[in-house]
Parts: sequence; C-alpha cells; structure tokens
Amino acid sequence: MLLDLTDITRTFGDFVALRGVTLRLAPGRVGLLGPNGAGKSTLLKILMGLLAPSSGRGVVLGEPLGTAADGATSYRLRRLIGFMPEADALVPGLTGVEYVALAGELYGMPRRQAQRRAHEVLSYLGLEEARYRRVEDYSAGMKQRVKLAQALVHDPPALLLDEPTSGLDPAGRDAMLNLVRELATDHGKSVILSTHLLADVQAVCDQVVILNGGRVRGQGTVGELCAVRDDRFRVRLQGEPADTTAFRDDLTSGGVEVLTDNGRGELRVVVPGKWSNWMFFKLAEAHNVAVRAIVRDDETLEELFLRTMKAA
Amino acid sequence: MSTPTDALLRYRPWTGDLRGPVHGSLAIARVSLKLMVRRKLFWALYALAALVFFFFFYGQYLVVWITIQTANQTVPVFGARVRVTDLLKFLDKLNLNGSAHTFGNFIWFQGTICMIVLALAGAVLVGNDFHHGSLPFYLSKPIGRRHYVLGKCLGAAFFINLLTTVPALVLYLEAGLLYDWQTYYGDHLRELFGILAYGLALTVTLSLFLVASAVAVRRTVPLVMVWAGVFVLCRSLGSFLVDGQRFHPAWRLIDLWNDLYLVGLHCLGADRSDEKPDTQPALWAAWAVVVGVSAFSALYLRRRIQAVEVVT
Repeated sequence: MLLDLTDITRTFGDFVALRGVTLRLAPGRVGLLGPNGAGKSTLLKILMGLLAPSSGRGVVLGEPLGTAADGATSYRLRRLIGFMPEADALVPGLTGVEYVALAGELYGMPRRQAQRRAHEVLSYLGLEEARYRRVEDYSAGMKQRVKLAQALVHDPPALLLDEPTSGLDPAGRDAMLNLVRELATDHGKSVILSTHLLADVQAVCDQVVILNGGRVRGQGTVGELCAVRDDRFRVRLQGEPADTTAFRDDLTSGGVEVLTDNGRGELRVVVPGKWSNWMFFKLAEAHNVAVRAIVRDDETLEELFLRTMKAA
Repeated sequence: MSTPTDALLRYRPWTGDLRGPVHGSLAIARVSLKLMVRRKLFWALYALAALVFFFFFYGQYLVVWITIQTANQTVPVFGARVRVTDLLKFLDKLNLNGSAHTFGNFIWFQGTICMIVLALAGAVLVGNDFHHGSLPFYLSKPIGRRHYVLGKCLGAAFFINLLTTVPALVLYLEAGLLYDWQTYYGDHLRELFGILAYGLALTVTLSLFLVASAVAVRRTVPLVMVWAGVFVLCRSLGSFLVDGQRFHPAWRLIDLWNDLYLVGLHCLGADRSDEKPDTQPALWAAWAVVVGVSAFSALYLRRRIQAVEVVT
C-alpha cells in the first residue's frame, strides 16, 4: 500500500486545512489535483512527515505518520520519498554532480556511494554532458532534471513531484513526463504528482485524487471518475467552409446541439435521444462534406475537475 | 549487443544502508567550506592571514634568537651604536614571548581577517539558501532544521578555527620548543586550554552570529554593512565614548570584538593590567554580552528557520 490515511485532519488555529481525509492508494501513479487552498500542500507536508496531523492516523509506505517534523519517524518517512520541489531549490556554486551527491549524503548515503550514484542518475536523466557545470547555469529543462535527479539519488520507492513541468517548453514537458512515466512503469516507482496542469496528470497518472476545501472530492482512476457520455461526439469534417457551415446549420435544425466549433472543421455536439450516427453521414453527403471521424466525447479530466469544484 | 554506455544510461537500483541525520550536517559543513574555498577573492585574505601567522612564528623565533645569541651585541644605526635588544622594543607590544598575551594578540589579529572573510562569505554560506530558495532542498531531506543550522555553523567553525585556534596551537608548540620545553609546557598549561577556550568562544559566537545575520540580510553587501556596523562602527563608537568623552567603561561593551578579546584573555589567564586600552568594562559584563549575542543569534535562527516552508 502506498498510503493509507484515516480521517486525517489538520488545523492551523481556527483554520482547518484538511478535514477528515481518508485515502487508500495502491502503489502507482497518483495525480493530486485541487485549486489553491485546497489542502494539497498540507497533505504533501503530512506525507513527508514535515507536519503532524492534528487528528487521525496514517501509514505511508509502511511507516506511520510521525508526530514531529524532526522526529525519527519523520526521518524514516523522508528516506522513503524522493521529493522534487516546485521552487528552483538549487545550491548556487555547486556543479550538477556535487548537488546530487550532496542530496544523497543528506538522505544518509555514504559519501563515495552518493558520488557514484550521482553520476549514474545524471547520466540516466541525460545530463552526463552537463554534470560538471554549475547548476545556476543550467537551462529550465536541465534544472528540472537535476531536481528529479536529487530526488532519485537514493533510489526511493516513491517520488513526490511538485509541479515537475513548471516552466518547461512543450518538448521539455513531454520529455519530463516520459521520464516520470518510465520510472513508474519500468522501475516500479510510485509517483505522487501534484500539479495544476491537468494534462500532465492525464498523461502520467492512473489514479487521481481531487481535493477541495480540505476534503477529498474524488478519488479513483481517470476512467472511473470521468463520466461516460453516449450522447456527445466530436465530429471532424473536411470540406469548403460554406458547406461545413450549412452542415452545422442542418444539424442544429435536426435537434443536435453544437457545443463548440473550432472553425477548422471540428464540432463538439450533443445529439438527441433517438439519434443515429448514420445521420451524420447522410447530412454530410447532402452538403458535399466528408466526415473524417466521429469520436465519443467523454468527460475530460478538466471537465471532471470543474464539475467537482462546482459540486463542492 | 549492449555497450557499457547503454548500461550507464539505464536506470540502476541502489541498495545500501542510510546513515543518521548528523552525517547530513557534516556534508553541509563540507559543502559550505568548498563554496568558501572556491571564491578566488578570499585567497588574498587567506594569504594575509598566513602572513600574520608567519610574522608571529618567525617573530617569536627572532626574539628568542636575538635574546640568546646577540643580546649584548651592538649594531651601528645612523652612526650610533645601538644594543640589539633595544631594536626589538617595537615588538614588545606584541609580546612575542610565548605568554598569554602572545596568543591573545595573535588570535585578535587573525580574528580580524577571519571576520572580514566571514562577512564576505556569509551570503555564500547561508544567504544564498534563502535568496535562491535552496532551503527546501535541505529541509525536504531526512534531517531536522537543527541539523541544517549545525552543518552551517560547523562549516563556519572549521574555518574560524583553521585561521585562529590551529595556528595559535602551532605557535604554542613552537614557543615550547624555543624555550625549555618541559618547563614551558608545564608552566603554560593554562595557555593551552586558554587557546582552545578562546577558539571555542570565537567559534560559537561568530558562527552563530554569521548564520543569523546571513539569514536576516541574505545578500553580500548588506551583510558586509551589518558586520562593519557591529565590528567597526560599534568599536569606534565605544572607543569615542569611553576614551574621548570619558563615559563609563561599560560603554565599551558595545564593541563585540573587544568583548571577545577580553573573554579570550580571561581564558588565557592574562593579567588584566596589561589589557589595551586601559579602561575596560567588567569581565563578567563582557562574558554576558558574548553569551547574550550567541543566545540571541541561536533563538533568532530557530525562529526564522522554523518559518521556512518546504512545500509551497
């Protein structure tokens, strides 16, 4: 079990940051979602043993949650987790390999092993050429990688990644997400991904936890949580703009609700109860338009997130 | 067929025993020293410190040699015959005779250089951790906040002792070898413990004050200004008030460097009548200021570092 929390509550004076959070998560890739002030940071601190819960109990990777940030239990907990912070968190003046080796030593690795391991991890993450350069001279993508390297140096069973793709360009973002996915699928790491970017969660995670107002508002796989909608479709068309406009108008008069039209031939539609998909083709033929694809338009993670926030 | 490079680029698991958080403090101290040694500007100050040491080292030797070998000889100076021992009068102020004041003066001189280096190095040692957000990197590891402070103080302490206590001990050894070593070491045991105690007082006070002031102001220039204020301005002000305006000698307590000097001379067992300048505050008051500054710095550090958020 990755974590098993029962009725965890955390208060700061009168403010309740977490209210009765109960979570059971198997090892895997978990996305932690929630708006600002939802309690994500508090939950992460509790999972790392940096904060003790005000009430409730929990076990993370077999270790009970500690009662003090500087207690032996908290240290044991942090050894099991590699944390990649959102902030730069680099040590200026150190080279990449020194920075990662220092992280290893802080986790408790003997010096030589930490150094050797730092070389290995940096090579694995594609920073072998840059490992002797100072970390402050790294590009944004390299900084994210070296931060991942310092989390990975002691080979923890779980990684806690706070906004790992923050500040990356699309290519860097894809590369980072691929690395995270590979670590989870090929090397058995559990990953808890805390992010505002829902696409990152959708790309990497097989489980999602949605927090709002200090409570868990949804938990499960993306497939389980997102509503299956038999009445919504994405229709991709090819044809002259005038013809596709006429096609769209005919759809509307036939009782189909057009939710969006991206102007490049893709429509998101809601069909009425007795609708059959061959009607799309019939109308398309009548307007000299080719139907390239009809895909069921299930709820996206973003829609799920917004629906959950509204319900809360 | 796989090559050695392929093996390096694959993720490899690591197994081994992780050590306790105190080892993390040692790693922090070592990295702090590394960062200080890398600054080329500081090497000029290290050279100056070496110069002071060699001046005392050879000065002590010279005094003994002249006293023993050429005490009664005269040399021509501007046509007049002058006794060699008279030429050494200018060295009297430095007491290069293996006495408590020799070591007190030496540490005072070295401490001044040490103080300048620390004022410049404070931002590198600690300020950057706050300014560049490195602190979450340290505190997300299985170490406590006190281990972080301990590591930083150890780094500063090692440096302070390398410039003051260690060379003072070398001078002590040299003095014993220049005189009758059995008699000298037997009669001057107090000086040996005095050197260690003076070094300890400097270490504790300066390292705590350095870390606390670097946490407070973070950048090099403001830090230098703070240190210049405490060690130069307050010194001048104390001297102006007591020597110039004939205020009570207790006003000299605002000069922390003088307080440390008095504490040091007390540890070395030096005669109070030889203290320069003559009008000095009570010894207990100097001790109280030194202990007070250390305690205040420690409390301030505790308060500020507790407030750092690892997860934002």
